[in-house]
Amino acid sequence: MMLRADHVAGAGFVAFGALVIALSGDLPFGNLSMPGAGFLPMLVAILMILFGVILMARAGESQLFANIRWSGGKHAVLVILITGAAIALYERLGFIITMMLMMIGFLVIIERRNPVRALVFSAGVCLITYIAFEYGLSTPLAESPWGF
Amino acid sequence: MGTTFDSLLHGFSVAMQLDNLWYAFLGCVVGTLVGVLPGIGPLSGISILLPVTYGLNATQAVIMLAGIYYGSQYGGSTTSILMRIPGEASSVMTCIDGYAMAQRGRAGAALCIAAVGSWIAGTFGVIVLTVVAPPLATLALRFGPPEYTALLVLGLIFLAYMSSSSLIRTLLMASLGIMLGMIGIDNMTGHFRYSFDLNELGDGIGIVPVAVGLFGLGEILSTPSINVTGEVIAPKFRDLLPSRQEWKEAAFPIARGSLLGFIVGIIPGSAHVISSFLSYALEKKVSRHPEQFGKGAVAGVAGPESANNAASTGAFVPMLALGIPTSPITAVLIGALMIHGVSVGPGLVNDHPDVFWGFVASMYVGNLMLLALNLPLVSVFVTVLRIPYAYLYPLIIMFCILGVYAVNNSIVDVWIMLIMGMLGYVLRKFEFDPAPLVLGLVISPIFEQSLRQSLIMSNGYWTIFFERPIAAGLLIVSAALLGLSALSFVMNRKDWRDTLAEVEAGEEKAS
Repeated sequence: MMLRADHVAGAGFVAFGALVIALSGDLPFGNLSMPGAGFLPMLVAILMILFGVILMARAGESQLFANIRWSGGKHAVLVILITGAAIALYERLGFIITMMLMMIGFLVIIERRNPVRALVFSAGVCLITYIAFEYGLSTPLAESPWGF
Repeated sequence: MGTTFDSLLHGFSVAMQLDNLWYAFLGCVVGTLVGVLPGIGPLSGISILLPVTYGLNATQAVIMLAGIYYGSQYGGSTTSILMRIPGEASSVMTCIDGYAMAQRGRAGAALCIAAVGSWIAGTFGVIVLTVVAPPLATLALRFGPPEYTALLVLGLIFLAYMSSSSLIRTLLMASLGIMLGMIGIDNMTGHFRYSFDLNELGDGIGIVPVAVGLFGLGEILSTPSINVTGEVIAPKFRDLLPSRQEWKEAAFPIARGSLLGFIVGIIPGSAHVISSFLSYALEKKVSRHPEQFGKGAVAGVAGPESANNAASTGAFVPMLALGIPTSPITAVLIGALMIHGVSVGPGLVNDHPDVFWGFVASMYVGNLMLLALNLPLVSVFVTVLRIPYAYLYPLIIMFCILGVYAVNNSIVDVWIMLIMGMLGYVLRKFEFDPAPLVLGLVISPIFEQSLRQSLIMSNGYWTIFFERPIAAGLLIVSAALLGLSALSFVMNRKDWRDTLAEVEAGEEKAS
């Protein structure tokens, strides 16, 4: 049997449904006249397992798992890593520094743009956005330990 | 009727205040830009700008956010016609004949027909909304928990039935959304559910990080910049006027698209996408020259563009009258109003007339503004399209982080956005549509509460849903839709949803 995309997706949903049921152990299910906090999660998890099984059963209509094109995968992984680093630093370094570093990261590491242009573009955009949000729209942004 | 007219006049007195006009204008401009830019849809646009509305009152906030929504429907046509890239999902059908017209040197005429059609349809939608929403709200006052449960079940089934992906895929996505919506404190018993001792998860997962992650970040992860071309056909201002023949060919498609779009808009699901597809199919069917479709038929632009605008207005009917979101976008708008202390539902018309009627009246004004904006400023919006995508997507990610963080000043929300972005990327690879997930997340609390209240009311008897006529009627319609889907599956019959999926896939490849 050839492994198809819906075999993998269906198995993923079945596993997720089973995980929810396992995690719901300490939630009271209650009864029909007084449903508890675990009532609907259990119901939806069972439905999810059922739908997952149907998806697997009908997987013949889907593409082969090996044929899924992950060509943009490298771009996606780099974007995720840089964005993740920016989120980790956001509350420590504040909006201006973190976002500037993040945009330089995207432009220089992923897009191979000229570093000086990337610096000027990032600094300009971050400063304009900071001023617009802080002063124009009165929406406070995360600040660095140096007060900006 | 007289009362409605008086109330509408009151709405105009609210909408015409200078600050409200300014926020409507701002919403329309931002919405047009959101529609024009590929990779950022109305949902991400509204979610990102939600924190900006915190300093405004409820009326100003909803006027601006709704302006972004219907503005994006206007803007989406620009990229479709000039670049064959749908600025947002509902403009997929416009790509076909809009771009063909542009290649024949009629880009200006196509843009003008799209803008005028959108304006007529938008205004028609608002007129019907004005008449229909208040009486519907009065009827909805008779709704109890069983009726709400049945209505939400119908919404989910309808979404699954109308979706271009399969019924099972849509139901799986909706189930996942409902599951995510149950994270946090259980409102009825106070139990913490799946919060893993994280205080931030106690209040549950917000719509904004999920929507921005799935639709904003997820789209960027799936789009490497080398795949985005920047070739734009720029029309001259003097070429904007269509010929008399083109107006003639556009008139009936605009009328049909307006009516069809509004009706489809009321129905839950990605209405504006479906409405433009149905309108295209209808126009092709009634045309005396169906062979012209795909080669620059005026009706292929006028019909779908009118339909998606009318649908975006139609989607406000269940939102304003029943307090039920029929799409992720209306869900975010409901969330925005709740942040401002306005609970949306049947009581909105009477409890907050300024918000309700001010909002309705602002849509008349907003549609006029969009017509005035979209035609003379088309060259300005085209300039935005020339910004290389390599510079654009870092900007979008910056706004995603900024917007999500600003909602609760919570970095956990931003991490959730990143996780949802990754999930969105994987879901796209496996050909799942993430929209039902967001809808499931939104309706989850209302659905759970009304289901449990219904069971408590009936002492545990499911028959309560069949003893009450409105609930029973809604459930019968749900069962009929499930039956129709099952029939189509058993007969292995190709229907319009398969065709829509094929067209969407074709346009993705072409762009």
